[in-house]
Amino acid sequence: MTVNETPQDAKPGGKPCQLHPQSMCPAFGSLRILSRIEGSHPVMATDTGCLYGLTFVTHFYGARKSILAAHLGTEELMAGEVVENTRAAIEVAAQEPGCKLIPVVSLCVAETAGLPEEMLPKRVNDAEVVLVRVPAYAIHSHPEAKDVALEALLKRLGDPKGGPKEDKTVVLLGEVFPADPLAIDALLRRIGVENTITLPGRSMEDMRRVARAGAVAPLHPFYKGTLQTFRSWNIPVVGGAPVGISGTYAWLKSIGSLLDLDPKLIDQVAEEERAKAQAIVDAQSLSGRIFVTGYEGTELAYARMLVEAGAEVPYVSTSIGADPLVLPDELWLKAHGTQEVIYRKTLEDDVRALDRYPPDLVLGTTPFASIAKERGIPAMYFTNQLASRPFFLTGGMAATIGFIKQTMERSPRYEWMVEFFEDGS
Amino acid sequence: MVKIVRDLADTSSYWAALWTMCTMPDVHVICDAPIGCFNLVATAIPDYTDAVPHIENVTPSVITEKEVGGTGTGPAVQRTYEGLRDEGLLEGKYLIVVSTAESEMIGSDLSDLVTQLKPGTTFFHSESLTEDEHTGRDRTLQWLWENYGAAQAGDVEVVPGLVNIIGATYGNFNQPSDIAEVKRLVEGAGGTVNVIFPEGTLLSNIADLAKAQVNIVMYKEFGHTLADTLGQPWLHAPFGIQETTDFIRRLGDWLDTREQADAFIKQEKKTTLQTVWDLWRGPQSDWFATTSVGISATGTYVDGISNYLGQELGMQIAFVAPRPRGQGDMNNSDVRKILHDRPPTFVYGSINEKIYLSEAGARMTNFIPAAFPGPVVRRSIGTPFMGYRGAVVLIQDIVNHLYESLYNFLPVDTAYANQRAGQGGANGAPQGPPRHQGNVTGNLPWQTEAKAILDAAVDKLPFLARISASRELQMRVETQAHDRGLGEITPDLAAEVLEMKSE
Repeated sequence: MTVNETPQDAKPGGKPCQLHPQSMCPAFGSLRILSRIEGSHPVMATDTGCLYGLTFVTHFYGARKSILAAHLGTEELMAGEVVENTRAAIEVAAQEPGCKLIPVVSLCVAETAGLPEEMLPKRVNDAEVVLVRVPAYAIHSHPEAKDVALEALLKRLGDPKGGPKEDKTVVLLGEVFPADPLAIDALLRRIGVENTITLPGRSMEDMRRVARAGAVAPLHPFYKGTLQTFRSWNIPVVGGAPVGISGTYAWLKSIGSLLDLDPKLIDQVAEEERAKAQAIVDAQSLSGRIFVTGYEGTELAYARMLVEAGAEVPYVSTSIGADPLVLPDELWLKAHGTQEVIYRKTLEDDVRALDRYPPDLVLGTTPFASIAKERGIPAMYFTNQLASRPFFLTGGMAATIGFIKQTMERSPRYEWMVEFFEDGS
Repeated sequence: MVKIVRDLADTSSYWAALWTMCTMPDVHVICDAPIGCFNLVATAIPDYTDAVPHIENVTPSVITEKEVGGTGTGPAVQRTYEGLRDEGLLEGKYLIVVSTAESEMIGSDLSDLVTQLKPGTTFFHSESLTEDEHTGRDRTLQWLWENYGAAQAGDVEVVPGLVNIIGATYGNFNQPSDIAEVKRLVEGAGGTVNVIFPEGTLLSNIADLAKAQVNIVMYKEFGHTLADTLGQPWLHAPFGIQETTDFIRRLGDWLDTREQADAFIKQEKKTTLQTVWDLWRGPQSDWFATTSVGISATGTYVDGISNYLGQELGMQIAFVAPRPRGQGDMNNSDVRKILHDRPPTFVYGSINEKIYLSEAGARMTNFIPAAFPGPVVRRSIGTPFMGYRGAVVLIQDIVNHLYESLYNFLPVDTAYANQRAGQGGANGAPQGPPRHQGNVTGNLPWQTEAKAILDAAVDKLPFLARISASRELQMRVETQAHDRGLGEITPDLAAEVLEMKSE
């Protein structure tokens, strides 16, 4: 399935019972990344309701940052003032102290009306102006909008000739828990990597510098456009991610061969990591049936780790579309007992699976987690509880498995709550 | 005229329509929307405004490129309808199709299409590109009445003593508490609550609105058109002592229960309102005259809070920024400038004002949530801002924040801060005071101009904070002087240290 197909088309011939697609408004993925960059002052081009909702979530999950927008209502649209008002908002943003970047985030209504890039300035004072087009009707999921935003930034800022080529620098691609890159960096330095840079991050300088790196390692599988940009700079892409036992082992080997590092050293470190990971799983293995059903686009990797730790994961669903980048994880999962992997999922898909494979724990979207809790099944919002914890290498593995174990032990509380509220006594 | 928005405070009429209609469980809405307009309105935001996990009775048509590019949204809405029907989700429900900014943008008018769906299905053109949430809520309430209630209302007789409360919808700050208080006041005045509309009733019961002798409209921003249409006398919900007293008396007059209303007021003075009287007679109220308050919220809240705290209790109202913004009202850039330059002791507002205070580093200012946007749970009915109980909650909150401020001004031995030095406050503790504080003897002389710079820096702070802050700022400068071995404080040094602080 490609990015542009509608959820209703997902099962051709089947009856259209996919009613409630599950994703945060796709555009938020881009705003989250764009609002967190130091010196970045986003300007939004959209209608009032969209602006309200996206600013609301950005102020909750993105950054404590004032957000400007062009007013776009019937009057402005009729008068063709979309460009004029957006330019005016850009001028105001440029006056913020330390303003270095003005991402212009163009959403459904502005995209439908038309916002020609050549009508916007490329620079105002010290600030780069970068147009990011993320209409929800075309992007479909929140993770994929992160890719759109990052690709737009890198295309403008990436500077392959701005300094010496850094052959032994690895770019870690993905929004992860802050301690994760530290652990990955430490491990990579042991095998001869000299530097790592995490994207998306808070520094604009990083976005210039990554164009001179030796390799890019996507930690998440939805940065399609961003990876194309790296390929245009002749920077090779590391396959897989440093997750779990087998994943980490393969990933280290892959980096070693791409950067031409000492194979003996790689073997030694990779084996050590594998042994450490195995020891963690042996010490606190999981049992029981778990659903991984968020909308962050990272669900397959989580499922894979849980399976390695001993859990049964019959059902995995995500908001992103199927893609070669996720295929290895999907094949791995299918070979290890997973019955269904659903892309561009809807609430109805998840609920059907709840009947088909009654789970002991659900890691889901808020609507789905609440439905599971209504049945007395331990459940939590994947985004808040999992995506915000260490996950990579052995440290992440220990933290994640420990947390999952703890949650599953809480199941009597979930049962008691449902008993109490069901009969109203 | 070029129009720029900073940190929008009100949403659109599409949101208003959903947040009004979907409060009634016998309604199902198909929103003619892309995934984002469905997710934000039905899941992401009501989690944080109303603490509901998700609004279950709304389904999107899921507008994609195909619909925008040519087919229009008709087939998608038709498909969505069939899916809902086949899943049995429409049994016993009124189906309403609502337009969004994007469907309006591509000119999708589904007035004809709805006649081919479930019998009785209606289309609500939300005017989302033109109207704000307040106008939208007002129009939706009126539209619901005209389409589902008015026809049967002719047979309904007015029952003496019955009172409706109009305006209960999703996305109104503090609504459960305020409604509970208004209900208590209505009953105290001798009335009986008939329908709380629309949240708290079924669409099938809408004609019952015609039974009430009096209507209470919760908010000044919407609901009045329906109240006018219903034709009975109506009142806005009250704030503060005087307005609430007038409200109860007026209700008593209209319901012919004036004696009971007066007795209730008398009783309230000895119970609920005794707290206000005690705090007024106590030392707490002595602070009021030097307490400054800024308010950015709905017009209803701005008027109510500023009238009570300013007119009745005599606090200084530093600024008011009612939303929706009328002619001449401050916009968010104006509010932001005040909060950056001279923040008051208290700011009642949304997350927008909270962010401006963070930008300003205004830690001497107390922020009190009083408006959306911003994540907050207000489902307990114990925190009204309206009515007599609201008068108590507001004053109690202010005094407790003042206590907290005073606590934070008390000195802590600097040895603990020194011990922490190097840990960078990793335990979450605030940055300590200057290192030498308390360990230096005697006073350093300040040149007159240097003193003037200190005074100006102190003058920018809320009054209550000044004593402590002036000592802290003074120490900061003197510590620098000691470190540099200066014998007196020069204007240059004061400016260097304090300008940084006041930026």
